[in-house]
Amino acid sequence: MTPLLQIRNVTKKYGGLTANNDISFDVSENEILSVIGPNGAGKSTLFKMISSFVPTTSGEVLFGGERISNLKPHVVARKGVVRTFQETTIFKSMTVRESVIVAQHLRAKASLGGYFWGSKAAKDDVVSFGKYADELLEFLGMSEISDELASNLPQGNLRALGVAIGLATGPKVLLLDEPFAGMNHDETMRMVELVRSVRDARGVTVLLVEHDMPAVMTISDRIVVLNFGEKIAEGTPSEIQNNEKVIEAYLGSADDEIGM
Amino acid sequence: MEQILANGVYLGSQYAMIALGLTLIFALMNVLNFAHGQMYVIGGFVTYTFYGQLGVPFVLALIISCLTLAVLGALIEKFLFAPVIKGSAREESTMLLAAGIAFLLDALILLIFGEKQRGVPKIVNGVFNYDFRLIMPYDRIVICVLAILSIIAFICLMQYSKTGRALRALAQDRTAAQLMGVNVDRYSMIGFALGAMLAGLVGGLLVTITGVNLGMGGPTSIKAFMMVMIGGAGVISGAIWGGIILGFMEAIGLAVLSQYGDITYLLIFVSLMIFLAIRPQGLMGKPWG
Amino acid sequence: MKNLTSKQLVGVGLFLFAVFVAVPVLIRITGRWDFYFTLTSVALLAIASAGVWLTFYIGRINIGQGAFALIGAYVSAILVVKGGVSFWISLPAAGLFAALVAILIGLPILRLRGVYFAMITLVLTQVVTLTALALPITNGAKGISSIPLPSGISIFGVPIIPDFAAMENTKLAFYYAACILMILTYAALYRLVNSRLGHLCRSMQQNEELASSIGVNISYIRIVIFAISSFFGGIGGAMFGSIAQSVYPSSFQVADSVNFMLNCFLGGLGYVFGPMLGTLVLYFGWDLLFELGKYQLLVYSLILIAVIRFLPNGLLSLRLGKGGPK
Repeated sequence: MTPLLQIRNVTKKYGGLTANNDISFDVSENEILSVIGPNGAGKSTLFKMISSFVPTTSGEVLFGGERISNLKPHVVARKGVVRTFQETTIFKSMTVRESVIVAQHLRAKASLGGYFWGSKAAKDDVVSFGKYADELLEFLGMSEISDELASNLPQGNLRALGVAIGLATGPKVLLLDEPFAGMNHDETMRMVELVRSVRDARGVTVLLVEHDMPAVMTISDRIVVLNFGEKIAEGTPSEIQNNEKVIEAYLGSADDEIGM
Repeated sequence: MEQILANGVYLGSQYAMIALGLTLIFALMNVLNFAHGQMYVIGGFVTYTFYGQLGVPFVLALIISCLTLAVLGALIEKFLFAPVIKGSAREESTMLLAAGIAFLLDALILLIFGEKQRGVPKIVNGVFNYDFRLIMPYDRIVICVLAILSIIAFICLMQYSKTGRALRALAQDRTAAQLMGVNVDRYSMIGFALGAMLAGLVGGLLVTITGVNLGMGGPTSIKAFMMVMIGGAGVISGAIWGGIILGFMEAIGLAVLSQYGDITYLLIFVSLMIFLAIRPQGLMGKPWG
Repeated sequence: MKNLTSKQLVGVGLFLFAVFVAVPVLIRITGRWDFYFTLTSVALLAIASAGVWLTFYIGRINIGQGAFALIGAYVSAILVVKGGVSFWISLPAAGLFAALVAILIGLPILRLRGVYFAMITLVLTQVVTLTALALPITNGAKGISSIPLPSGISIFGVPIIPDFAAMENTKLAFYYAACILMILTYAALYRLVNSRLGHLCRSMQQNEELASSIGVNISYIRIVIFAISSFFGGIGGAMFGSIAQSVYPSSFQVADSVNFMLNCFLGGLGYVFGPMLGTLVLYFGWDLLFELGKYQLLVYSLILIAVIRFLPNGLLSLRLGKGGPK
């Protein structure tokens, strides 16, 4: 069986700088895979290339055997690969529920014109979007804040809102951008549970990019480690923990978020 | 050919000064100063009044123009822009305010100076004539040299003085500048005054050649916007390049296309659009300012 | 108009009554026939302002509506005068042509954001004025004058729209026509904003990156919205030309584009009916200040600045319009 997501020899160069050099790995269906590495290892560039927010210099990303790199972000989202952002990227003056409803627009059956004239299909959509939004927020434990303005939410909830918006599009693969950054231990553990349940109950494959080592060790089925734009290791959490190259990379860097 | 080059340098130096003021204000406060053209016109009228009417020496009249505009700019910043920037939910409000100020200045110009075209006596007589290939009145040469000297003085001010360093820090990152101990409110005001002063200075210089009238404000603002877009908003070198490029395009256009009527500017606009489609941030600008 | 609360229905009813009954009666009583021209202008400018407001709704500051109004005015005038087409056919044609131009120009410039977009649209107004001066078909600086009044339309012998030239009171007829157009425009705008397209626009206004990550084709929607916006501009301009019976390159200038923007800001960007109110206040205010003679512009600009200084979020932020047709 072909893996769901294949990263094939992906390279990114900015001028003379190489952000990612010849990176390859696969993500299987229903897996939680984390990409980790010290600051400046090229994690976020890789993340943006997978979601087509930046083009690759060479190499490609395949989803179900189909190329999804070097397209437009919305095209990739429509195919079922949806990224989240860190907390500041939200719809500030929408409520939580409105954000989740707007994110369902890909699932709409009626056309834009149908909405304008108020067709039957459009009305059905509106009802089903509302229902699904309530159900999703219930599932994520966010029912109580569903009518809060996004700009009024505390940081921890913003991260959850990001996940909710991503999930509302009905993705097959969810790409999470540093979901645990800036969280304390309790918040992190809650988020870990949330991500797990997204995978277990909704069958969504998760690829995440993260700093926070303990959280990554708990949550991941497999881990890919980057350093200076190169892939230096790939394996299960226990394999990674004992990998000499990884230890060296983390000890060798002045990164203060080691926590291993 | 020599003639076109000389005209380009002459126009470009004036334009660069106008664009410098606009881009300075934009860089410091993220304000698109619609009233920039009106400030230029006021500078022209002040010099006209003192030099043309009252017989004050030209250089002194220029200095009075600069001071008037600097004070006007400082007042506008302190009592209008600063409070609106603080109190408004959207940054677009400053654009509305700037448009309102443009109307206000137009009204003031109308009331104080009237709507007639005004000119002043030539500052220098005579025409430089090189073999009929390059003809340039001496007063234009003087104005051009003065403009270039002013630009150099402005760049030195920005590079080497304490004020200049503070302004550059402010333009780069407001919050960081504040943390570094720059008095943000004070330097915003100084920057705005400086930008307005540049507009007034060009107005004072150009009144000796083109004269001045009420209707010049709007078109001048539009030209300034174009230069800033060519060079990249909020970048000093960009403003200078923008001014020079627009000056040369105009000089070439007027020489080559004059028989086709008013299409020079049309072509400049169209090429600007194509240019921006390829390079949205202008020559020197950072993406999205 | 469905899904309106009873309160909103009352508001709409009151508004329609005011526009179609109360205003004509008041004008008859007071004998201020000149107000018809003022109010007709307000209605038409409000249509163009609605377009500007819509571009704000996707987070773009549009100071180029004068360009599209001028395009609309010329297209309609050329069709009527040179093509002998009925005005009522030239009207949608003017809107569509403006929309087409918007698509062509929008492809490159809609990638620009913030002040960059604002500046280029401002320049655009100047470009169209210069084009009108340079092209032979627009007749240069002389413009197109003595445009005939709109002719009547009848379907199977049943008159739908009467012949304006045969009417005694064309002022009233133009007033009604402009108001009907304005109401149609705002009804369409209201529907659009409250439909899915409106929600997608809002998502783009707040964060384009996030919007594209949930699958919104932002470049497509930008073009669609800019085209609709310019359609409104073209319609408003065409009708204006028909009332003035003439079009010149100076019919819509940079100052007009700035005014369209001011109408939207002043009314409030968060409210569909904001631009209508803003247009009314600004245009009427300007007209009332006419008595002040040479102090007109001074007082007008001082009031404008005071409003911005003390109500930076628009007139409707006072919630004066709450009982109105919101």
